[in-house]
Parts: sequence; structure tokens; C-alpha cells
Amino acid sequence: MNGLHGIIFTYEKRNDLRELTEIRSAASIPFGGRYRAVDFALSNLVNAGVTDVGVVMNGRYQSMVDHLGSGKDWDLSRKRGGLRLLPPFAAQQGWGIMPFRGKIEALAGIRSYLEEIRQDYVALVDGDLVANLPMSEIFDEHVKTGADITVVCGNDSFSTADGSYYEKDENGRITEVLYGLNRPRGYRGLEVYILSTKLLIELVDECYAKDLFSWRRDVLRANKEKLNLHCYIWKGYAAQIRSVQEYYDRSMQLLEPGIRSDLFCAERPIRAKGADKSSTYVSPDGSCINSLVGEGCNIEGVVENSILFPGVTVEAGAVVRNCVLFKETVVRKGAQLAYVIADKDVEFQEGHTMMGQATYPVVVAKGSKV
Amino acid sequence: MKKECIAMLLAGGQGSRLYVLTGEMAKPAVPFGGKYRIIDFPLSNCTNSGIDTVGVLTQYRPLELNSYIGSGQPWDLDGSSGGVHILPPYQGAKGGSWYKGTANAIYQNIGFIDMYDPEYVVILSGDHIYKMDYSDMVKRHKEAQAACTISVMEVPWSEASRFGIMAVDGDDMITEFAEKPKEPKSNLASMGIYVFSWQALRQYLTDDEADPKSENDFGKNIIPNMLNDGQRMAAYRFEGYWKDVGTLDSLWDANMDMLSPESGLDLRDESWPIYARSVNAPPAFLGMDSKVSHSAFNRGCTVEGVVENAVLSSNVSIGKGAKVSYSVLLPGTVVKAGAVVEYAILGENCVIGENCHIGGEPGGSEKWGLTVLAPNCQVADGREVPAGIMLDRNAEEVSK
Repeated sequence: MNGLHGIIFTYEKRNDLRELTEIRSAASIPFGGRYRAVDFALSNLVNAGVTDVGVVMNGRYQSMVDHLGSGKDWDLSRKRGGLRLLPPFAAQQGWGIMPFRGKIEALAGIRSYLEEIRQDYVALVDGDLVANLPMSEIFDEHVKTGADITVVCGNDSFSTADGSYYEKDENGRITEVLYGLNRPRGYRGLEVYILSTKLLIELVDECYAKDLFSWRRDVLRANKEKLNLHCYIWKGYAAQIRSVQEYYDRSMQLLEPGIRSDLFCAERPIRAKGADKSSTYVSPDGSCINSLVGEGCNIEGVVENSILFPGVTVEAGAVVRNCVLFKETVVRKGAQLAYVIADKDVEFQEGHTMMGQATYPVVVAKGSKV
Repeated sequence: MKKECIAMLLAGGQGSRLYVLTGEMAKPAVPFGGKYRIIDFPLSNCTNSGIDTVGVLTQYRPLELNSYIGSGQPWDLDGSSGGVHILPPYQGAKGGSWYKGTANAIYQNIGFIDMYDPEYVVILSGDHIYKMDYSDMVKRHKEAQAACTISVMEVPWSEASRFGIMAVDGDDMITEFAEKPKEPKSNLASMGIYVFSWQALRQYLTDDEADPKSENDFGKNIIPNMLNDGQRMAAYRFEGYWKDVGTLDSLWDANMDMLSPESGLDLRDESWPIYARSVNAPPAFLGMDSKVSHSAFNRGCTVEGVVENAVLSSNVSIGKGAKVSYSVLLPGTVVKAGAVVEYAILGENCVIGENCHIGGEPGGSEKWGLTVLAPNCQVADGREVPAGIMLDRNAEEVSK
């Protein structure tokens, strides 16, 4: 048995994601033409040999429950361990109705589950991180460095809404925990942590008893002298999906071959739910270039620089440029779209035009008829 | 556990007319239509028809097929009662033998069928592409109070002599059966899909086994014997797309048919879905200089070149300046920059080197044929492989 347990937080509902999280949490946002954001967290854990994963959910979690099912698609449907869905079950303080104020509350809500963890170490992972992380390497480094908590950070020029940032010394020990910065500095925290199960339970109990709820403030910043916080730097693609702009920019990055080979590397495949769709078809008069295309699409119009999820229809004479179209979007004859993010089952009617901007993509809510 | 109806799928044949494509796998495991295998069609038809118990009879090179079927989960055939069962020949206390023929394969599994004590058994083949509601055929069988019902379809009179042909009376009851008749009396061809009342079939299988002269075959022995005995034999007329993909040409044709739903083969119609075990790969990427036209592609494909009238299975990659037309590329095949592939079937995981030229247009010559590459065949840069040539996995020519 692998010594690492996974806990994925999927309860965040970011207002900056507008219509995209009206019906779901950030972690179940469709991403990359086939996936949900949470698929990356699950795959990262499973690819590192993790067999037991708990998924913490709260509010609007029906879409998440539908998506995860028994965990079979990630090989997490097991007799012992496997996937455990963790809706709020310690019904205190209105949890389940009220959002958690922070990770500590979320963890306190599953206190009895924490007690049952069979592994010595726990990885805490946010469900809205899209990255292909070498978790087993990170785990090895955590054990080798003897750190109390390993904090995984990104190393690129991207910032994220409500991000946490870290400064470290030459040994990789974290010296500053920063957030609420107008101008980010240091390394961007990816909200992925490894620590021992024992320490986790101690920290949760300690904070909860004092009505402290913020992981970064009350655990990391408050204990940065006392605990050895180690920074692991991940140099690859790492997108936190927290605003529509971030969603759009990070999606469009997937059209670069280097980004795709990093995110979809063959050694660590990203697993996702299958879809029973036929092959995608491009008609003699259709055209589709520089695009990422899911299965079961039918393209008779023009598609450029776009991401199409499964089952999208683009009728003859329609033009789709720089768009992200979720499952089963229908673009009728002659419709023209640019810089549009269309949620599931949207229909753009004949001859309709909708134009956003690269710096302000238009979001169309699920099931709309435009 | 009692079941009203179960299906037995004959999947043991080698499919020798698919030559190198079935060198290492049984015909039902051969990939089709970009994301399916041939066996997905009968299995999906079963589950869509409400048949939840399917025996799959395997014999020739079963490894690929066994691992593909697995627990049967992709077809919803992994229930706690019934489900899909792989049935290879086995040894008993008095020895055992290979399946000698289609009827013998079922005979050897009488024990399996008896476990479910069914009223009806549907016999299916693993080499046909079609969508069919078997429950409607069973309904016809019951209404006709038949011992055996055979699904038939009208074929052009000119082709009738290639099929098993049925003559029927006014109630569509079969009066005569002729295997590949020189002068066909009707154009109703057997599709190789049968419904039997189990007790009747059980008796005929047992009698057939006792006959040393029998070839133990449904078409040659069981059906003619039942007709001769005056058993009630009903025809079930099927209208819709059906194709036996037992030859390279027909396999290629059926793939091309899929590109044009007017052919009758509409795999996008979700009212009768064809399920498949899905491949885990990212969505396809079509590059800036790609041009894809009247073609299908799948997960994990990367296209930087030109693709016309072609079917690309999962994880196929087409390099810059390469051109693929009128071809079927099976999973994992790579066509490198500048190569040309036309009128070809490329097996799984082939690698076509830069600037190769594979296949050629039909030029009216009688010798023309599709160019076919065995799975894992690697063709060196710049090589020309003309029309009608077949290469084995070592890229050496073999004869058809």
C-alpha cells in the first residue's frame, strides 16, 4: 500500500467564474475539451499510486457527484479504500447550507474520516488546479527533506485571483506566506500540500478549538517559524481556474503544442469519464484548424483557434473563432461566434452573431437559446 | 437463473480474408469506424435490445478480444445476473476438442445455455456492421410460433448467388434455403442471425453431433435439417444498413459508409448507441496548416497535414505536408511529414516514414487493390508501396 492518502477540496464556488459556476463548483468546470477540473487532481493522485481519496464537497455538489460516480474511471472503485465522497456530514454550524470559511472548517467537518485514514501521509489538493504534477516525486521529496508540510508552488508569470504566494530561502524553506497582494511576488501556491496524517489532525483540532479556519493564515503563516514548511517548485503548466478570464486564457494556452505535451504527458495520463460518442466528422465544406476537438462533433462550418467539447455541432456557413464550446453546443447555419464560452447544451440560432473580446470573453449559461 | 432470451456470439473465426489484419487477433477484435471494434455492434445491439446475457465463443487468437471485452462494463453487460461470458473450448472428463463448426461451438456450450434455461437463443456473428433490435426479431419468432427465425434482407438480384438465399411463402415463412445458389429463386439473403426456440435447437444440436458426416455448421446442417423436418421457420425482414466486413474491400467500404450517413450507417444517431471500450487520450488537435475534409478522427489524434475521405482512429498522427486520402488508419498509426497514403488500410501502430508513398488510385487495372499494412509495420523513409500490395509486420511483401 502506498503511504499517501488524497483529500481533494471541491467546494469552492468562485464568483469571478460568473455563469460557469452557477450550477457547479469550480472543481467540476469542464476544461480542455474533455475533462473536468477535478480530473487532474484525481489523476495526479492515482498516477502516484494513491489508492484512497476523499473528496470534500459542499453546496452545488450534484454535478460533482454525477461526475465522480463510483470512481471507476480513475480505478478508485475499490473494496478497501478507493473513492469516498464527503459531503458535509458533521452537521454543525449550518455546514452544507453555509459555505466553509476555510479549509480548516472543511477538514473539521470530516474529522471522523480523518481518524480512519490508513496512510501515514496526506496530500491536500484543490480541485480547481489544472496541472499534471509528479505527485510521487513530490511525496519522495517531502519524506527526504523531513519537512513538516510541503507546499507545492508554481514558477511562472501567471497570478491567480485570491492567490497565495511564498518566499523561500536557499534550502527551500518557506520564509514568507503572502496573500491579498496587489502585485504578486514570490512563488504562486498551487494549493497542494503534503503532511503527515498525525500533524494534520493536530492542526485541525488546534485551530478548530480556537475558531480559526484559514489554512494559509492560521496554519501556514502562524506556524512558519515553528514548522518546517518546504517549498516544492513545479515548473510546468499549472492553471488555477478562478475567474472567467483565467479560464479563457488558460484554455487557449492548450493550443500550444508544448503546453499540451506537458499537461497530457504519456507517462502520467489524465483520466476522465468516457463518453459514448462516435468519431468527430468534418464535412467536405467544413474547416477546422488550430483547435482541440472532442469526439462526436459534427463540423460543417468554419472552426478556428477553438476548443470543442464532445458532441458540438457547427452547421454549414457558421463561423466559430477563438471560442470554447462545452458539450452539445449547437451553432446553427450562418451564426458567427468569437471569444465566446458556451456552457453545455447552448444553441446559437441561425444567422446570430455574438462577439466577445480576448480580454472579455462572453459567457453563455447552460441550456440558453441565443 | 431463468432468462427468457440469451445471445450466443460466434467470435472464434480467424477472418482469414482480412489477411494481415487478423494475423494476431480474431476478426471481431478488428478496429472499425475510428473508435469501435467489430464486436461492439452485436454487443451493443444486445444491450440495446434488452438482452443482458451473452456468451462469446472464442477460439482463434482470443487475447486481444478477451482483454477488450473484459468485464463487459462498456456495454452494460457486467450485471450481477447474466452479463458477458467468454466461452473458449474446454476439456471435460472425457477429453475435449476445438470447436469443429458453428453448430458444434454451441453444442459444446449446451451446459452454459442450460444454466439460464432460456426459451429463446439468439445466434450472432462477430463480423457484421449493423444496428438491429433483436427483441423485435424475437417478437416475430413468437408470433410465428416458429422453431427458428432467420433474419433476411433483400439484396440486388445480381449479388444473390453470393449469399444463403431463402424462398418464403405469403406469410414470410421459409420454404426453401439454398447456400450460394447459381440460380437464386429469391433475393432474400440470410444475414447469419438466428433466433431458435432453445428446446428445439438443443435437440437438433444433439442429433447433429451424433451424425459423423455432418460439418456441424448452422448454414450447412442445422437449418437444412430443420427445414427438411418441416419445422416452422420464419423469415424476419430487416431493412437498414448491414454489411459483412469479412473482406478487406468490404471493411474499407463500411468505413467509408460511416462518413456518409446517407449510406444508412449513422453512428451519430444516439437513439441506438454503439458502445465501445474507450481509449484514454486527450481530445484531437488539428494544427494551423491542417486540412481535414469529409473525414472522421478521434481522441489523441494530431493532424498537421491533409486528410480527405479518411477515417483516423484514436492516437493517429499525421505530420506536416503529409496527405492521407481514401484510407482507414487504425489506432496509434503515425504518418510522418511529406508522406502520401491513399486507398490503404494501415494496421495499428504502423509508422509511415517521411515522404513515403503508400497505395495508389484505382486506375482501371484489374490488378488494382487496396494497400494493406499489418499492425506494427514500419515503413522506411521514402519507400513506395504501390496499390494492391500487402506488407507484414516486418514491412515485407506478402501475397493476398
